[in-house]
Amino acid sequence: MQQYKKTQYKLILVLVGLPARGKTHISYKLNRYLNWIGYKSEIFSIKGAQQKDAQLDQNIDYELEIDPTNQQFIEVRQQLSFQAAQQLVTFLQNEGDIALYNGLTSTKSDRQKLKSLFKEKLNLEFQVFWIESICDDPQVILNNINESKLSRFKEKTIDQFTNQIKVLAQDYQTLENTENISYIKLINIGKQVKVHMLEGYLCSKIVSFLLNLHANNRQIYLVRSCESEYHLLDKIGGDPELSAMGKQHSQQIGNYFIEELKGNKNITFFTSQMKRGIQTAEIVGDKLGIKALKTKNLDEIDYGICDGLTLKEIAAKYPKQIKERKANPLEFKYPRGESFLDVIHRVEPIIYEIERSRDPVLVVAHVAVLKCLYAYYHCNQISEIPNIDIPINCVIKLVPIPYHCLESRVIIK
Amino acid sequence: MQGCNRSQKIAICTVGLPARGKTYISRKLNRYFNWLGYKSRVFINGNYRREICGTECKSQFFDPHNEEAQKARNDCAKMALQDLIQFLQNGGDVGILDGTNITKERRHQIENDLKSQFNGIQTLWIESICNDSKVIQNNIRLTKINNPDYCNMNPEQATIDFLNRIKMYEQAYETITDDENLSYIKTMNVGADIIVHQVYGFLLSKIVSFIMNLHTYPRPIYLSRHGESQYNVDDRVGGDSDLSALGEMYAEKLADFFYSEFPTKEIKNEIIFFTSTMRRAVHTSDVVAQKLEIQPLQLKTLDEINVGICDGMTYSEIAQKFPNDFQERKINKLGYRYPRGESYLDLISRIEPVIFEIERSRQPVMIIAHQAILRCLYAYFHQNEIPEVPTLDIPLHCVIKLTPAAYFCFEKRVLINPQTGEIQQKEEFVEEFLRSKSKQKSFIDL
Repeated sequence: MQQYKKTQYKLILVLVGLPARGKTHISYKLNRYLNWIGYKSEIFSIKGAQQKDAQLDQNIDYELEIDPTNQQFIEVRQQLSFQAAQQLVTFLQNEGDIALYNGLTSTKSDRQKLKSLFKEKLNLEFQVFWIESICDDPQVILNNINESKLSRFKEKTIDQFTNQIKVLAQDYQTLENTENISYIKLINIGKQVKVHMLEGYLCSKIVSFLLNLHANNRQIYLVRSCESEYHLLDKIGGDPELSAMGKQHSQQIGNYFIEELKGNKNITFFTSQMKRGIQTAEIVGDKLGIKALKTKNLDEIDYGICDGLTLKEIAAKYPKQIKERKANPLEFKYPRGESFLDVIHRVEPIIYEIERSRDPVLVVAHVAVLKCLYAYYHCNQISEIPNIDIPINCVIKLVPIPYHCLESRVIIK
Repeated sequence: MQGCNRSQKIAICTVGLPARGKTYISRKLNRYFNWLGYKSRVFINGNYRREICGTECKSQFFDPHNEEAQKARNDCAKMALQDLIQFLQNGGDVGILDGTNITKERRHQIENDLKSQFNGIQTLWIESICNDSKVIQNNIRLTKINNPDYCNMNPEQATIDFLNRIKMYEQAYETITDDENLSYIKTMNVGADIIVHQVYGFLLSKIVSFIMNLHTYPRPIYLSRHGESQYNVDDRVGGDSDLSALGEMYAEKLADFFYSEFPTKEIKNEIIFFTSTMRRAVHTSDVVAQKLEIQPLQLKTLDEINVGICDGMTYSEIAQKFPNDFQERKINKLGYRYPRGESYLDLISRIEPVIFEIERSRQPVMIIAHQAILRCLYAYFHQNEIPEVPTLDIPLHCVIKLTPAAYFCFEKRVLINPQTGEIQQKEEFVEEFLRSKSKQKSFIDL
């Protein structure tokens, strides 16, 4: 993919922090983002290594067995941590671009060993960037445990877990400049951030991304612009206005949101600069008493020479393009137009805005653009994008929670 | 402008000893904001002090124990803040207070004044810390010696006096601490370490990213249009035509020029080379890429302005078929959007990520693109005002080399004759700088 800077070197992102500091959450978010913008990225953790190790008892969750007095578990965890690092190396030696490591990194000597392993085993140029999550707010830690760990505790109690963390904290060594590493420290979920020796295009992007993360589980609503004149004629592209039916549906969607948002006016509301987007957003916005921000980034995919034609006309005039598109729908670029990859690139700033927002988000846009936005939250591979279903007159509600994303769809009659 | 909440005012205040790059950061931020479409202005404490107390202030003036001088300096600082507040009240979006602000008391006072005047103002404090004496000496040499305070001294005397002035400030310096409850960014040793504290909000987040990538490396930026295209010959707009015979010749000569500009392999490998995805630019870039043995990155972001329904027409055809649009564009070339196409303002918005990339780079940058796009890029680095963008002169077969320095931008134009390869160079820097200094307004610095 030429538009994304294929760096000449591989990148390793290492997570550091006591348990229940959000490391796994951060790694999932980052991994999702990096894959979405086109890099081949994967996470290597104790959990992952355990799943790949057939000899281990899979009923024990070794990632959570942090009891510092249990020597057997300590050894298994060290072994798994080491295996994860080796799997990481293999991944980067082959097709991987970026690897995230979530293993044992709490002491300087752990980190030194890790650095040596990478240096020894990786036969290509690589850069390591360290991401430390620090938290001293007991409420935040408790929330974290409740949301992401509690369901996995078999006989453990929250108190036992927090006490075990306290013991681990005594040996924990925070990242220091003397270790000669480039890092970012996220303190209390973005209240304070420290960056040291930031270098390179990709790390810079990653830091910008991390600055926007927070732990609010707010809703994201994706809505297509309603029926337009082109719909009735079966044409694609263009900049048509809403049909009479389209205006009606917009009203109904507005009514749905009145119920759904319960008078909350603090909504991050975006739409495109296309007539049907603006009109839908205006009608919905009027009902809610809020105004949408219009951005060209949310305009529908540019159909180039196929703009304004019906599907039949395209099949007749450009059969070669239809074939190309079938073969590779993700990368296919309409001549003088865009591909899905171009749309992802275009829509990236909107993802930043959505991530940053701690209020509910409402996006009124168009099929191809919404496919890309949806994929960011829901898909593991961007190759799935062309097949995503974004029906008209349907509100898609996404609620990102730790490790995945809840989804519900409401068809508006 | 898209994606911004215009209703909230923003005040940015710098903190730091002299020669720590505060004015540099203020100006860069100011440029960036104005570029994004916000009304932004810098208010320099030093300029107020110079206007009121004169420019003959020796280092003793800055002694914290010199009560009379302290009072005078406080009054000047108050005036600067007042003007900033007035600016925000009269339609300004972002006010930047460029001053040392090294005491907790001063910062507390400013923060209170701002918060009491505006409901919901966002304040951001940017502290620049530097302990590297080489960097400080360099800063002094580059920016202070030409400072009006020292126009009657020779450079050695000026440096000594300035270093004494810094010592005076050091006595009273209090770095920002968390208990002051301010939103701040601390940048240390030109970005080696950065601390961000309690910074929330769309614009403030953008500022953080921007500051993290600032540097003072004087790296050159080469801008060139593609060689003459078929559509250029026919005088048509838009399209995705290929190079004409003359255009292909230019590509060859351009490759030769760059080959001589970047003599060694190390330098060549470091070049950041961008082009668009349009045929005429890609073909020009390919010739250059082959000669230098490097690979360009094809960015759709650098594609020429989308002329919508006018694609493929000549200007006279447009005037005939769409006379209203033709007129409209003449009156407002900046904001006029081709139906189903883009306006210059859309372009400026579109290329923002590229500008960010270029700002970030510490290596030479080479961009082969198109007229409208290059007008926008050129304007940003050369510090032209946005209304000038649509009429800037970016001719075919010419390489523009920009070298942004601390407070100004060097420019060199290399006109290459595509047939003979003959080169004509035009430089513009010293005169420009002197001219801008002589018309520099005293209190505020646009």
